[in-house]
Amino acid sequence: MTTGVLIYCFNTPEVNYHLLAERCIAQIQKHLKLEITVVTNIETYKQFKPLGLINYKLVDNAVGNRRSYRGKNIAWHNLERSLAYEHSPYDTTILMDCDYFVFTDNLLTYTNIDYDFLLHNKVHDLTGEDMIEGKNESTVPIVWATVTIFRKSTFAKQMFDLIQLIQKRYEHYRNLYRIKYRNYRNDFAFAIALHQLNGMVSHKNFIPTPMAMLAHEVDVLDMSDAGVTFKYGKKVGITELQDVHVMDKEFVNV
Amino acid sequence: MDIGTLKDYSDLAHDLAQTKKNALEKMRSRQIVAYNGRLFQANAETINVVQTFKAHSKDFYMLDTNDNPCHITDPDDFLRILIERNQETLNTYHQLHEDLKNKRLK
Repeated sequence: MTTGVLIYCFNTPEVNYHLLAERCIAQIQKHLKLEITVVTNIETYKQFKPLGLINYKLVDNAVGNRRSYRGKNIAWHNLERSLAYEHSPYDTTILMDCDYFVFTDNLLTYTNIDYDFLLHNKVHDLTGEDMIEGKNESTVPIVWATVTIFRKSTFAKQMFDLIQLIQKRYEHYRNLYRIKYRNYRNDFAFAIALHQLNGMVSHKNFIPTPMAMLAHEVDVLDMSDAGVTFKYGKKVGITELQDVHVMDKEFVNV
Repeated sequence: MDIGTLKDYSDLAHDLAQTKKNALEKMRSRQIVAYNGRLFQANAETINVVQTFKAHSKDFYMLDTNDNPCHITDPDDFLRILIERNQETLNTYHQLHEDLKNKRLK
């Protein structure tokens, strides 16, 4: 049985995602010590510095999706994730955003259990401002596709097949579930697929604790091997030995 | 006491409260353990349940964090794992708590 981490990374005109991925990979190598596969395109691949024993899978990624980021409308290449089941060479995969940084080995807990598909359905805003989870954004409870652990299994295959269908017909599903955002978000596609595959009723089987997060509005001042120093408004905070999803995309440029 | 100093106290109290809240979340994340393919939180409730069931039976069933049943066949081993992880996380939280005590405004 093989276990590894799968990361999607595509630079956009506005964001150097490869710099985020380099930091993300260094943390995985230090704390999880798992094999890593990066799915990227040739342009982004050329930007990566040597990172040791990493597998790369080069694809010609779909483009066109956009997102709002700090008052700007920017490109967002997030359409390949629905192919993770096919892209992953592992029996058990930790599918992770390249802006998720591990500072513990906590995720290893979820790699040898009887669950085929696990992700977070709750977040913890480290600033205490609760500015991440919006209200009335859709009629389906949101889940977070940031970290998804799946095993090669019938259920996981069905999940990704359905996610691909939802992505293809996203406008229909967006209307059906009254999703507030017009752009494609994997979080909602995953939430819809889970809702439908679980018989349209509420279900469980999530990572039991919330995902620690820093919102777009929060500036990361420093990231060390042990944690993150961040600033929001006039306040400065520190995380230590805690996995964290960082939405500030610019701190790696400094 | 002038309003500026009071504001400083308030800001510091807010920061300390948030630091504690984050540390508790970190502690709870670390308390998740896998056992026989299921997920459990190594908190006082789980430890008490295992200790109670163990006194009545050599093996028993429990619900995990997602309400899925798990057959506990070696309660002593399970209890040891739970207590070890619980005390590891509480020890870390205790150290932070001691540090925060010294961060009050003079």
